Amino acid sequence: MTSSSVTAHDTTPRRRLGSRLGDRTFLVFLLLPGVVLLCTIVLYPLIRSLVSAFFDENLLYPGMEFVGFENIAAVLADDFGRLVWQTLIFTVGATILPFLIGLALALVLNQSFPGQRLLRGAFLIPWLIPGVVVSFLWMWIFDANYGVLNGILMSLGAIDSPVAWLFQTDTARGALVIAKTWNTFPWVMVMLLAALQTVPGELHEAASMDGAGVVRRFFAVTWPHIRGVAALVVLLEFIWNFQHFDTIFVLTGGGPAGTTSTFATEVYDSAFRGYDLGHAGALGIVWMALLTVLVVVYVWLSERGEKGVSR
Amino acid sequence: MSTIAPTPAPATLPLEPAPAPPARRRRSGRIRWGMWISLAVIVLFGFAPVYWLLVTSLTPSDRVFAFPPALFPTQITFEHYATVFGNAQIFGYLRNSVIVSVITAVLSVVVSMYMGYAFSKYRFVGRKSLMYFVLSSQMFPQALLLVTLYLVFAQFGLLNTYLALILSFTTFTLPLCVWMLKGFFDALPDDLIEAARIDGAGPWRIFHSVVFPLAAPGLVAAGLFAFVRGWNDFIFALTLAGPDRQTLPPGLVNTFISEASTSWPALMAASLIVSVPVCVAFILLQRFLVGGITAGAVKG
Repeated sequence: MTSSSVTAHDTTPRRRLGSRLGDRTFLVFLLLPGVVLLCTIVLYPLIRSLVSAFFDENLLYPGMEFVGFENIAAVLADDFGRLVWQTLIFTVGATILPFLIGLALALVLNQSFPGQRLLRGAFLIPWLIPGVVVSFLWMWIFDANYGVLNGILMSLGAIDSPVAWLFQTDTARGALVIAKTWNTFPWVMVMLLAALQTVPGELHEAASMDGAGVVRRFFAVTWPHIRGVAALVVLLEFIWNFQHFDTIFVLTGGGPAGTTSTFATEVYDSAFRGYDLGHAGALGIVWMALLTVLVVVYVWLSERGEKGVSR
Repeated sequence: MSTIAPTPAPATLPLEPAPAPPARRRRSGRIRWGMWISLAVIVLFGFAPVYWLLVTSLTPSDRVFAFPPALFPTQITFEHYATVFGNAQIFGYLRNSVIVSVITAVLSVVVSMYMGYAFSKYRFVGRKSLMYFVLSSQMFPQALLLVTLYLVFAQFGLLNTYLALILSFTTFTLPLCVWMLKGFFDALPDDLIEAARIDGAGPWRIFHSVVFPLAAPGLVAAGLFAFVRGWNDFIFALTLAGPDRQTLPPGLVNTFISEASTSWPALMAASLIVSVPVCVAFILLQRFLVGGITAGAVKG
């Protein structure tokens, strides 16, 4: 579900229920617990962290001193370019790769063949298992001394000696993207499979009568039907990856030499390793500003998609 | 957006067989080969890590650090499962995980059931803004939220308590449940409510005697999703819970990973055990899967 449902039902006949059922006290009872809870655990902490961006505040000492835009200026001057770049590398890689794999798989699993149903279920495993298990597993696969990846590549003669995939600046990013890809391609597959089932079979039939090949039929028939969902999938993946934390934190901790750190790991580090809440808050403001742009695009796209599909 | 909008109740889409596609009489051999090769690569990529997880957990300790590792085990052992179950600490983590995930799920479902119902069946001023607030609260970066949740909990002396974990998990389970349940309530016909009204029932009575029983399957599904999300959380539990309140994911790190050495087979065995409840929940949830996953599209 997307924000589409924010608008989806506004025009239904239900509108009249509002006034007739309109027992105001009951409505307050319905909404109050959720609103109070969300304000306490999401809104207040968030405002609090953005406020600390304007103060010199340390996790270890009480008290805060107003410094204005000093923290934010420091972030923009020092880390900004590097963090945006590194966050983007991870985000783009971990969005495109699962999309391509998920799309290929969805197209194959949309055919009927023996065992297709079982395979659809089995392919969900990487997405189902807890994220931290995913991280452990890939940490073990990439292990510098005994990892199975090194074992296989050495038996094949592709490398001469074991490679410390997670501890080398030129391989760590790729390793992270692969681990994250493994975790998320099933989600892309499910979303695209659902979209593929809206493609009418007769259209394919007709196109193939007209002599269109597989590739041609994909671009002429299939793609236009799944384009809207595909765009949302990519955008959502992009937003989530832009703030992804777990895999990076467990596998590389932002290293080696800070080359895989993103806004997420940097905020965590500056708060819990550097105890510098002002810096963490300033990073947060910059990060949230970038995220807001993404979310606005997402809402705009899903509302537009809503109009396009429900005509 | 029919495929993405909350497809409530019995949406069995992707696990059902697809309608048979038209016969591909003229598919060229080259494309078929390309298809098979890419499928083989994807199958390998998808399943080899799971296979390795299983194999490692069954490998005797003295063979784990053989290099290159044997891809097909010649000898299997269950000693690592015995190690995991023989560790008293693990049971403590397990108990914490169960307590925190269950309470989170129940709290999230109860609160979001009312909120989802209001969003679905009532029209009121500020409804849309409130819905966007709930939606966007899933988009707030966890790492940032974590820092201030830590401060707030520290201020109120809540660090290292169950409550801290439950509240922090609720930041991501509640929005998810609200959206899922709104979808379920949308699928309930308004005529039912109208009929109950005509029979003289007040809004309170209508919700609890008419709507609630009908929504029960949806509530269970949302609860299971919330349970799984709480069960899987790593970073909130790692940071906000002390050693006594730690749940399984960070607990496993503490137990099996250390600077000096990592007990890989035991860690893999424990990882498999942690994944079991999630897989069970998934099997129970299959019926709601698409609705759930796409509702989770708000936060996957």
